[in-house]
Amino acid sequence: MAVRSVNRLPDHVLKVRAEPVGDTPGKDLIVDLLDTMRASPACVGLAAPQIGVARRVIAVDVTDHKKTTTCHGLVVLIDPVIIEASGREVAREGCMSVPDLTANVARAHRIVVRGRTPEGDDRVIVTDGFEARAFQHEIDHLDGLLILDRVDSLATDVFRRRTYK
Amino acid sequence: MSSIAITVIGNDQPGIVAAVTRALFDVGCNLEDISSTILRGHFSMTMISRCPDGVDPSSLEDRLASVAAELNVVATARTVEDTPAEFEPPTHMVAVYGADKPGIVYRVADALARLGVNITDLNSRLIGEENDPVYALQIEVQAPPECNLDEVLPPLREELGVEISVHPIEADVL
Repeated sequence: MAVRSVNRLPDHVLKVRAEPVGDTPGKDLIVDLLDTMRASPACVGLAAPQIGVARRVIAVDVTDHKKTTTCHGLVVLIDPVIIEASGREVAREGCMSVPDLTANVARAHRIVVRGRTPEGDDRVIVTDGFEARAFQHEIDHLDGLLILDRVDSLATDVFRRRTYK
Repeated sequence: MSSIAITVIGNDQPGIVAAVTRALFDVGCNLEDISSTILRGHFSMTMISRCPDGVDPSSLEDRLASVAAELNVVATARTVEDTPAEFEPPTHMVAVYGADKPGIVYRVADALARLGVNITDLNSRLIGEENDPVYALQIEVQAPPECNLDEVLPPLREELGVEISVHPIEADVL
């Protein structure tokens, strides 16, 4: 399969609600998603719309990240839904699809996510902290939401940054 | 094309941004970066705009003057050098707050300047009761790697009677 280019603003695919995958997961899509994610060493998650596909598939892998507490390794989830969320933490996020800016984003500290594996099995993940933040960021992509849509205060929440390589 | 910096300051009211940017749009200017806020009830905006040939600062000021008079604001325009948009990323946030008195910004900024630290953003508000005003200052800085803000800024706490905290900026790419 292939490393695809990561779609960036103002690409419209980032702003639409992605369609459910349903019963048949697209294997090619999952392989491309993982290939593309691994092509950027700093990347801890990617959602299908970021590689131009408006379907509800995400990949998350926070292994070895310094902020990781709870870790489920590499997780691919199809049609993921957050079924429980509690606590609130603000941290600065960057996004491969949003060049030049980072933003403070409030996320739930602890979440329960339900979805399906690429093999079609149901999977429920209970996690917190950085991994929970990564899941929420990627699931936001499936709803057409970017970090800029999550900002509460312009004065204190949006920052310029250098483009990530 | 040239880059022109435009500032607008005056009594706040609805419609200032619309009126000013309409005047710029009418002469073919394309806005780039803008910072605008309300400072103690005063509208304040700074813009960098790419302007077509034939639009110079004085013609722009003339055009803005009628708009500004109507809104009771002051607008200025001046040519600025074209600089690359890319810049060193900020490294730290500095928070300073305490009983208000003259010299807080100066002493903190002076300490930063002596270290070669660049201030990339700054916000302050005078808050609290009229007879007990509190000064709250947030500074985003780009500090050279060798400079230790944790050693330099805390000594100012006693001198100024304010709280000072420094924390590194860490953004995660998700």
